[in-house]
Amino acid sequence: MRMLTGKFTRIVLLLLFLGGLYFLATHKHRQREETRQAPVVLTPGCADKLGRYGLASADYYQSPYLLQRTRTSMKVRGYSDEDVRAIQRGCNIVDDTQGTLAKDKGLERWNTTRFIRGSHASCDHCHQGIGDKQDAAGNRLKGSLSLGASWAMADMYDRFTGLLLPYELRQMQCYINSSNGYKPNIADDVIRDVTAYSRFLSAALGLKIGNHYEEQGIDEIAASATPKQGDDYVRGAALYRHKCQGCHGPQAFGTEANGRVVAPALAGPNAWNMQSRNYFHYVSTILPGFICRNMPLGEENTLSNQECRDIAYYISNLPRPAGDRQGPLMALQQQMLMAVMPPLMRLTGSGRSIEAPAPER
Amino acid sequence: MKSPASAAKYKALLGQRWPNLSGHLVVGLTLALVTLPQAVAFSVTLAGVPPHFGIYAAIWGVLFCTMLNPSRIFHGGPNTAMSAAIGVTLLPIAPPFGAEYMGYALTLGLMAGLIQLLIYLIRPLSRMLDLISEPVINGMICGIGLFLIFKSLTTFGGLPFNTEVEWPLWIAWQSFLAVLEIGNIHAIEIGSITLITCVIARQFEPLRNWAILFGIAAGTLYSEYLSATRGLQNTLVEQIGNLSSIGPVYPSLPLFSPETMPDVVAIVPGAITLALLGLFQTVAAMRRMNRKVGGYSDSRQAIFSDAVCNCLLPFLSSLPTCASFNRMWLVHQLGVHSRVAIASSALWLLLLVLFLAKLIAIIPMPAMAAVIMLLGANMINWEDIKPHFKDRREAVVFMGSFLSVLFLDLFGAVIVGSVLAVAYSKWEQAHPNISVTGNVLSVRGSIYYGSLPVIESMYHGVIEREGSAVIDFSQCYYIDQEGIRWLAAAKAGQKASLADRRRIESRRELERREAADRKRASGRRRKRDRRQRSEF
Repeated sequence: MRMLTGKFTRIVLLLLFLGGLYFLATHKHRQREETRQAPVVLTPGCADKLGRYGLASADYYQSPYLLQRTRTSMKVRGYSDEDVRAIQRGCNIVDDTQGTLAKDKGLERWNTTRFIRGSHASCDHCHQGIGDKQDAAGNRLKGSLSLGASWAMADMYDRFTGLLLPYELRQMQCYINSSNGYKPNIADDVIRDVTAYSRFLSAALGLKIGNHYEEQGIDEIAASATPKQGDDYVRGAALYRHKCQGCHGPQAFGTEANGRVVAPALAGPNAWNMQSRNYFHYVSTILPGFICRNMPLGEENTLSNQECRDIAYYISNLPRPAGDRQGPLMALQQQMLMAVMPPLMRLTGSGRSIEAPAPER
Repeated sequence: MKSPASAAKYKALLGQRWPNLSGHLVVGLTLALVTLPQAVAFSVTLAGVPPHFGIYAAIWGVLFCTMLNPSRIFHGGPNTAMSAAIGVTLLPIAPPFGAEYMGYALTLGLMAGLIQLLIYLIRPLSRMLDLISEPVINGMICGIGLFLIFKSLTTFGGLPFNTEVEWPLWIAWQSFLAVLEIGNIHAIEIGSITLITCVIARQFEPLRNWAILFGIAAGTLYSEYLSATRGLQNTLVEQIGNLSSIGPVYPSLPLFSPETMPDVVAIVPGAITLALLGLFQTVAAMRRMNRKVGGYSDSRQAIFSDAVCNCLLPFLSSLPTCASFNRMWLVHQLGVHSRVAIASSALWLLLLVLFLAKLIAIIPMPAMAAVIMLLGANMINWEDIKPHFKDRREAVVFMGSFLSVLFLDLFGAVIVGSVLAVAYSKWEQAHPNISVTGNVLSVRGSIYYGSLPVIESMYHGVIEREGSAVIDFSQCYYIDQEGIRWLAAAKAGQKASLADRRRIESRRELERREAADRKRASGRRRKRDRRQRSEF
């Protein structure tokens, strides 16, 4: 009898557990569906950009950008209400990944912060201009990591693993290659919405699928593109003080004002990790390429190739989180470094000269 | 053509040789039915290869093992931990289910087989496997069990396989949240129905061995109902797919070419892990099941059979093989300890695959994931773990081994497990039982470099207190060279004398017995060497 009661209890407990999980799953699914149907509150940046590109629900779409620049614009298939909401949500995610402008960041940004450790990283930091960086005249810029151009590239081979990656998979790679993150599942709304936004950008800019545009990806700078002086920590530190410290802070830990990120961390717990492709000692061409073409803001393309490599070299020697595959010991070591180094530098006065006001940009 | 008389003669001969042949065949069928879903699930969900890899391992792996291993309870075939290790090793190298991935899987299996052969040929290495203690093995098994549950979460929720391989606990949590938020509700329903049916069937003794089959049947029926009412294009539930191309043999070649060499070199640590994981489980399973049935068979024979099988199987499109705890347990429970029954399970499986391929193709993947989760949960057996928590040191070793599976990779777990096992036994030896009566220091245990500091501290305490000491080592069973030198130095120092309280006759008797033992052992070795030479 006792054995029978035990078996019965076991079955009832399992039923309760699975029933509870099922109930929770259906509740979460319903919540997501309601969010998908709800009108989207745009960030100021997205309201401006999508307004300029004339995003609206209609039978056909004609790009105002192309019309203005080329005086001609093809009519392409339009967007449904559902498509428009997805594009708007995608734009919001790129502009405000951390959800500081959202009322409920869990739902409005599809929990993007869950996939990024630290409180700084945002898509817009690398994919500037909400994934569509242009100069004042509306020209798209070389090496500016345009999301529209990246979508137009369609499938491409990963240079390091040799895998053929569609846009969605490349997007997933962003979370581990450019931040200290974790890949969301490919079926997640966050991937779907950012893809919808990128696809819309390519239509708005008139980009043709399968083409390679110079604003796509990074204009990488290899050592062979420099006068072969070697990458130098001291030169990098001096350049950092003059060119970067004003925004990114003396120890490159980033700056915040009123809870919002002014300039993202380049080192420390909020920065990308040691297995990210931004890490100079892992891939030495990507970060210098990004710096040269996109930094300092407003003064892009003013640094020489060697200067960009020096700054990247210096930044990558500052303490940052270990990569996930480097194991718990390395993780512990880096956490200790990040905790110990800043007060130690203040104590020994190493940061004193660095804390001097940066020259005006 | 044979005459009826000769047929009757053969039948009589068969009956004399295997009096209970039909019973053996029924046990074989049960085993085949239990192995089939496991074989498919291990290959598809864990190893990332098509289902025929697991099926061929369950056919040819089992047959080869039965031929080479004299144990009457040994059941080889595909294995959870080994399949998971293949997935973990190859995911960063190539996309699963691709031609390259499959080639690498075969290369990995072959390398593991060759490493196992090396371990067999170098006798001290194979002997080292016996030194892995039970808490280490149980810790690893529990860790792998939990790992299997985590790994199956995404498939259970009908989500695409996430290629992340690091930090299992972190990923498990993320996968759990993903299943709740974006999982396919139909897949969750199918998985839950499979799980509930399995658990309910397991509560009834006569149905216990059929539980997995019932679970899969229930999950498949529900999946078919959903497909019929809503259409597969709307439910989007993944199924195993067509197996009709499977024949009795499917020859294959491992991938070795100049272009692939960097990747082949990169998977060598994975191959060592795979080889050791297989052998650990085989040796541990043999040890445990032999004790269960009260028999004995040499673990080296099991190592040899595993190694040879794993060298052959990559040429037959098969996953590597090793002992399976759960299926050996099933053989034991069915009460028929026979190699005929085990071999017949492989043949039954071949027939099932040849004639019921269309039925197998519609099995939904979430049902498979549910089965894997259940197997993972079964690997965590509280009755096996409980004794380890009665002793603090055993508990530490168990937890170390268990956590290292979850926080490091499987290779790291093998290393931590081995180091802990050796450290555990060394720690035991380094603390001999020393009693002091007056100035007599009685040492019970080993006198070697590790235990000397402990003995020395006691010895100097006695010298300080009493002025002299008598070291009684009659209960010592091992003294190394450093120990002998220390004893000699202590004696030469005029303050200590040595005592061996064993009676002279018994000592002589002991020496005589030891000499006879040595002689017998060398004779046995010579005979075995001769026999081995003749075999090869």
